[in-house]
Amino acid sequence: MSFRYGVEQERDWNALTDEEFRAIVRAEFEANYPTELRYAPRRLRWHETKDWYLRMAAKGWIAPNWPVEYGGMGLSPAKLLIFHEETERWGIGRYQDHGTLMLGPVLIRWGTEEQRRKYLPDVLACRSIWCQGYSEPGAGSDLASLGTRVVLDGDEFVITGQKIWTTLAQDATHMFLLARTDPGAKKQEGISFLLLDLAQKGVRVRPIRDIAGHEEFCEVFLDEARTHVSNLVGELNRGWTVAKSLLGFERIHIGSPRMPEYGLTVLKRVAEARGVWDDPLFRDKYFALALDVQHLADAYNHFTAIVIRGEPLGQDVSYLKIWATETFQRIADLTVETAGPFAAVKGDVRLNDTTVNVLASFYKARPPTIYGGTNEIQRNILAQQVLGLPRR
Amino acid sequence: MSAAASTPHVSAEPETLALLRHSVAGLARFDGQRIRAWRDRSPGFDRALWREMASQGWFAIPVPETEGGLALGIEAAAIVAEQLGRACLPEPYVMAGFLGPMLLAQSTNEAARRELLPDVLSGETVLAPAWQSADGGISPSTPGVFARPDADGFVLSGESRFVVPAEADIYLALAHDGDGLLVAAVERRDVRMLRQEPGPDGVSTAWLGFQDLRVPKSRLLMSGEAVAARVQAALDHAVIVQSAELCGLMQRALEMTLDYLRTRRQFGAPIGSFQALQHRAVDLFIQQELARHATGTAVRAAANATDCRVLSRAASSAKARAAHAALLIATQSIQLHGAIGFTDEYDLGLYVNRIVRLAASFGNAAEHRRRFAAASAET
Repeated sequence: MSFRYGVEQERDWNALTDEEFRAIVRAEFEANYPTELRYAPRRLRWHETKDWYLRMAAKGWIAPNWPVEYGGMGLSPAKLLIFHEETERWGIGRYQDHGTLMLGPVLIRWGTEEQRRKYLPDVLACRSIWCQGYSEPGAGSDLASLGTRVVLDGDEFVITGQKIWTTLAQDATHMFLLARTDPGAKKQEGISFLLLDLAQKGVRVRPIRDIAGHEEFCEVFLDEARTHVSNLVGELNRGWTVAKSLLGFERIHIGSPRMPEYGLTVLKRVAEARGVWDDPLFRDKYFALALDVQHLADAYNHFTAIVIRGEPLGQDVSYLKIWATETFQRIADLTVETAGPFAAVKGDVRLNDTTVNVLASFYKARPPTIYGGTNEIQRNILAQQVLGLPRR
Repeated sequence: MSAAASTPHVSAEPETLALLRHSVAGLARFDGQRIRAWRDRSPGFDRALWREMASQGWFAIPVPETEGGLALGIEAAAIVAEQLGRACLPEPYVMAGFLGPMLLAQSTNEAARRELLPDVLSGETVLAPAWQSADGGISPSTPGVFARPDADGFVLSGESRFVVPAEADIYLALAHDGDGLLVAAVERRDVRMLRQEPGPDGVSTAWLGFQDLRVPKSRLLMSGEAVAARVQAALDHAVIVQSAELCGLMQRALEMTLDYLRTRRQFGAPIGSFQALQHRAVDLFIQQELARHATGTAVRAAANATDCRVLSRAASSAKARAAHAALLIATQSIQLHGAIGFTDEYDLGLYVNRIVRLAASFGNAAEHRRRFAAASAET
């Protein structure tokens, strides 16, 4: 009778105990996720992750964070955390998941019934892949100064401008973006949140090769790209509010200790292979980092407990991102130092009895201090909004 | 078998803990004049205030109810210590109000326990654990005092150092008897004070000499196989509670610094509006939060620990962070204040000096990082 967004959930996950739920998720991941894709040293492309995520879609597990009535798993904060923990524990590679991570929650909160029915089923079935068009060449940390222009032509918005650092846009079919709909208004005031089909002649995607040799982000050139006015989400010129509302639960994941924990295990393997694992100088450095990770986990557990209680997170959660990402960098840097000449070899390195990708952590550790609001911006926010220091 | 489980533990209700925090904060108020007045003066703290603290029941926290205690567990002790830290009190709560009563309450000598505990809990008798050797090692397995058997007890000889409070009424002397450890209660008049060493916070420590000191069986508090693990567990509890005191100290030091950044004006603006200083303040805040959560985790581990290695690892984790964070906040607070932060008349210095002292005692950050490493290898 009611509209069906995705496949039916096989059970009420929240009725299970945490342990039962964890066991089910773990068993599925361990049995079916391709071993060769575990802990990939880079973001995987859609042709690599496709089989896995189509399986997740068929199981109804593609959107663990969405309510059941919209085709998600409808997990409680505690169960959702377990799902993420198991995903990270097994080293499962992400696809371009902005459709489930960002677009779904946005449309469920701000979208029209028509928008939800049009877009959500395709996201759930992986028929559409969404990317996020926020940053521009002239609008990075100062995102509100973005200049992509929109003019109305009949019942269509005509969009011209350039987006950049768009993650895996070459795999995407659609983009949600912020663009300026009122050039006269100040900064945040004239920005709208729009949905755009990328398969049109006004759109050109150019992958950007990074220093690790990967192509994980792109430039997207919009030259009179067109979208129907019904693809405006929320009110006209209120896109900033829509975009900002996403910064809730997701903020905690970027502060998860799993990545630095994994970095430590790689560092340990490198140290053992290099014969310095028992060297007191090395151990001092290693265990200082191990404590940095331990205390990240202690703080992370504090914040997850707040989430599980269903309480809102304060602005102070931003420090988790700073500490997690900078700790991972220190681990990566010590890995390079410990590897000695082996850090001059790219990719998998034969290192005595073991094979390690020495530089994987080094490269993987660079973007997180920049994306999601640079750590410098995070420090500004903490200083002014948590510590109460005056603005300039 | 677990040593850690032998320590009394009852988890207090959240409401009880909130009330406790409130009442400690009410009694323990920062008083710079009082702190300065007691510096480098015998006995270095206020015995009248000590009795008042006792009357609040704080020293009874680690003592079982059967011994007249409150058995509130380490959560409560950590709250007391944190609030005392915020007020920068020189009173030796962790040593004489927590570790001392905890060790005494665990004595297998019932007569001695019955005789000594009531006066300790009332604040009349002040205890000082004398567990550390003159070389300052943080393991209790090698105390500087040796015990040899004697007709009616033991004869102690050797030295104990870094004893707080220096002028206690009774020292709880840790000694090695060749097979294992023992703890004896020794009156101040029977021990030789080799030296009182002044501390940066104005509180001195005792360097004690035991010269063929006869200790009757009646003053032997515990001996035998279980003592080593029991003393280690008690010290680990004390390290965690001391980390909580450091948390209180660093919180206040950072608050003072943030206040200063908000109000001090140069170049026509509050200096706290400068981004370079804002970012440094945030880095100090992060360290403060890590210390808080590391200590909180250790408190919970101690409350639930059934394995002594887990307890030791958690204690070292907390102290390694708390000592590092507190010293960083102390030294950076001086820099962010500028010259005024280095003057004795400005209150920040009292916090700095207290932090320097507590960061160094019971093992500093580097020592606890090494102990954490060793414990991590075992577990």
